[in-house]
Amino acid sequence: MMTTLLIQALVSGLILGALYGLIGCSLTIIYGTMRIVNFSHGEFVVAGCFAVLMFFSATGLHPLLSIPLVFVAFFLVGMCLYYLFVPRLNRGDDPEVASFLTFYGVSLMAGAILLFFFQADTRSLNYVFTPSVFKIGHVFIPTAHIAALATGIAIIAALTWFLYKTIYGKALRAAIMNRDAIQIVGVNINTLSALAFGLAIAIAASTGVLLALVFPAFGPFSGMDYTLIGFVVIVLGGLGHPIGAIIGGIVFGIAEQVAIVFLPQSLSQAVGFVILIAAITLRPSGLFGKVALR
Amino acid sequence: MSSNRLVWTRTSIWLGFLALLALGLGLLPAYGFSLAFWFYLLLWITLASGLNIMAGFTGYLPFGYVAFYGIGAYAAAVTVKMHGLPIWAGFIAAALAGVVLSLLFARTMVLRGIYFSIVSLALAVICRLLIAAMPEDVAGGSYGIALGFSNPDGAYYAMLALMLATLLTVTWLAQSRLGMALRAIRDDPDTAETVGINIGRVRLKAWVLSAVIASMTGAIEAWYTSIVDTETAFNLLVSTKAVIFAVAGGLGTVIGPVVGTVVMLIVDDLIWQHFPVLNVFLLGLVIVLLMMFLPSGIVGSLIRAKPFLRRILF
Amino acid sequence: MLEVNALRKVFGGLVAVDTISFTVPENSILGLIGVNGSGKTTIMNCINGIYDATEGAINFRGTNLVGKKPYEIARLGIGRTFQVPRLFRRLTLTENLMVPVLEDSRSNAELTEKANALLAEVDLYRIRDNHAEELSGGQQKLVELLRVMMLNPDLILLDEPFAGVHPNLCKVFLDQILKLKDAGKSFILVSHDLTSVYSLSEHLLVLNQGKKIAEGNAADIQHNPDVIEAFLGR
Repeated sequence: MMTTLLIQALVSGLILGALYGLIGCSLTIIYGTMRIVNFSHGEFVVAGCFAVLMFFSATGLHPLLSIPLVFVAFFLVGMCLYYLFVPRLNRGDDPEVASFLTFYGVSLMAGAILLFFFQADTRSLNYVFTPSVFKIGHVFIPTAHIAALATGIAIIAALTWFLYKTIYGKALRAAIMNRDAIQIVGVNINTLSALAFGLAIAIAASTGVLLALVFPAFGPFSGMDYTLIGFVVIVLGGLGHPIGAIIGGIVFGIAEQVAIVFLPQSLSQAVGFVILIAAITLRPSGLFGKVALR
Repeated sequence: MSSNRLVWTRTSIWLGFLALLALGLGLLPAYGFSLAFWFYLLLWITLASGLNIMAGFTGYLPFGYVAFYGIGAYAAAVTVKMHGLPIWAGFIAAALAGVVLSLLFARTMVLRGIYFSIVSLALAVICRLLIAAMPEDVAGGSYGIALGFSNPDGAYYAMLALMLATLLTVTWLAQSRLGMALRAIRDDPDTAETVGINIGRVRLKAWVLSAVIASMTGAIEAWYTSIVDTETAFNLLVSTKAVIFAVAGGLGTVIGPVVGTVVMLIVDDLIWQHFPVLNVFLLGLVIVLLMMFLPSGIVGSLIRAKPFLRRILF
Repeated sequence: MLEVNALRKVFGGLVAVDTISFTVPENSILGLIGVNGSGKTTIMNCINGIYDATEGAINFRGTNLVGKKPYEIARLGIGRTFQVPRLFRRLTLTENLMVPVLEDSRSNAELTEKANALLAEVDLYRIRDNHAEELSGGQQKLVELLRVMMLNPDLILLDEPFAGVHPNLCKVFLDQILKLKDAGKSFILVSHDLTSVYSLSEHLLVLNQGKKIAEGNAADIQHNPDVIEAFLGR
């Protein structure tokens, strides 16, 4: 019985972890390329949840079909946000702190807008997959989770291909490592950063679509939680390492889900954070980081 | 010599102002003012100034500053309620708790920038969850602790005293050697160490000081409301507000956190009165505009734009 | 006064400094030359404790420096400047000079006076209350040297002191170095620019890819075929 529970926890940890990883990964693309702390990231995840809800109730089509639409729409939102705030922030004395506060303000505004349009009560996506559950051995996995994981993996694969195989992706990774070098090479750092910002927001919102499939209910107030998870995950994986963040997310997700099996509810929430502290103490630059510190 | 006289003049003006302020605020209860607004004004000035010691002077922004506040509130409540000791024993317990917790967390200062901030945040979350998971007869469990008595006037005076002590400490820090070492660490910790500063020890002093201010604040707030629970004592909004108020006024300045707190609380109040539906949205907008147009805060930007203002602002 | 014995520093798989030994006698100037990436700055970083040496020993007047923290080494009497000057940008010039001696027992007034006297010597006294970030690169390097002098160290490590410095300032810089030398101080001078080092150093050490390829006085070095190849070859 216990093993079944454990396997169940591992599977749902993997699924959730992949999604957490995507949140962290997109957050680290922003932080890495422009040292901007996007504290409103979680709000865009939640916005993705609501976007798929609207899509589904308006069209009745399969929720996953909303992803291209959500991706493009939020890509544009991200670009707008970039041009609105980031060039100005980068001229300041301390972009890190200034951006954290600016985007905290954005997060309050985005949260308020979500609240205004969707009210405080939690919603759920009433789409039922057929069959609704897969049974593998003694383990039950909801089809929605499998669909979410598969889509998540597809996004991760596409992102990895983009980052490692395309010229823009390579430039992006180079910019994460050294902003000055990229300017010498002749890439327009401003355009590149704007694209990166758009990409990150688009990924965040698309992850929101998947989370709406996995979590039965969501409300306008959970943005901050996702932002926090995103940051924990990127510190775990090493700042400025997009793929490290995904691994960090999976570690975090599995730890959280396994802890729910063994620990009382309130303590299980602490496990992810304890892992973070342990990881930081043992390996201060994160699992994959190379950030200098002392 | 001129720079010495400058420091002397502005410090005198500032201390004179503080004395008048203390007198005025001290008389409020006697004239029957409603204390709620004023108590929280003092509380936020104290927290913003305490945070400024780390964030402004030393260059470490602890998102999880609330951990010290919460642990102080709990230390006081447990001492008073569970062990039947008087409130002053609770304050001592709170101060000790602040010292112990900050020493426990001291190692996190090997981390830099956003790394440090996030880990500090994680520690605050852990503190909250651990205290909520403790048995009810130890720390009240998830329902919290009711002190069973309250003394708003007493708490108000205690808060006033703590605020004055904090502001005097920060004023001293701004011109002391310790403060100069901290500012050197803020600008470049590696270089500070290579030129001969024991950065581990110096920043630890700032850290403990900053922590004790927060833990005492938490204890006084517990006395004021006569109730503590994990959700409010460890509410992350406490950290965020302290950060925003300090930044709004100007990190690294003595007067900044005071000005920032006053302005932001008034703005917050106005928004609540006139646009109750849009309040959160507008608060967000105010923060965004502030960071866009006054990134070094009100006092910081004033000093930058008009250097002669250094004569009175610092 | 300083003995470096079989120093080795490895980063991951990369050998940055490969088994290098040298000594710095009292009251001397040692020149450390080599192209970029030859390990000069890494040696400096090992001496003043920014890096821990992977192997080898560094003795300063009988004290082993390996494993000591940078601030302890500074207090033992070794000061250094950086290739890109590293001042505390939001501190005033006077404050910048005060930082190394904050834990000193002397009074504030005494230390301020000393700092201001040093600033006056290089004609920076009138802008002593400016923030360091307002200075030109060359001026920053000069202030960095003054900051080292506040601690009154016996050994001073200078990393590329003349790179990017205006010729007029170079002269001021050079005067300060010679004056300190006359006062009995020793130096290690790192440079990729040969001429400045030739004129100052009695003894030179040439590095290439982490290895010592030549050692001797300026005349020896100038005609050493390995050196010529390392600098001009490829």
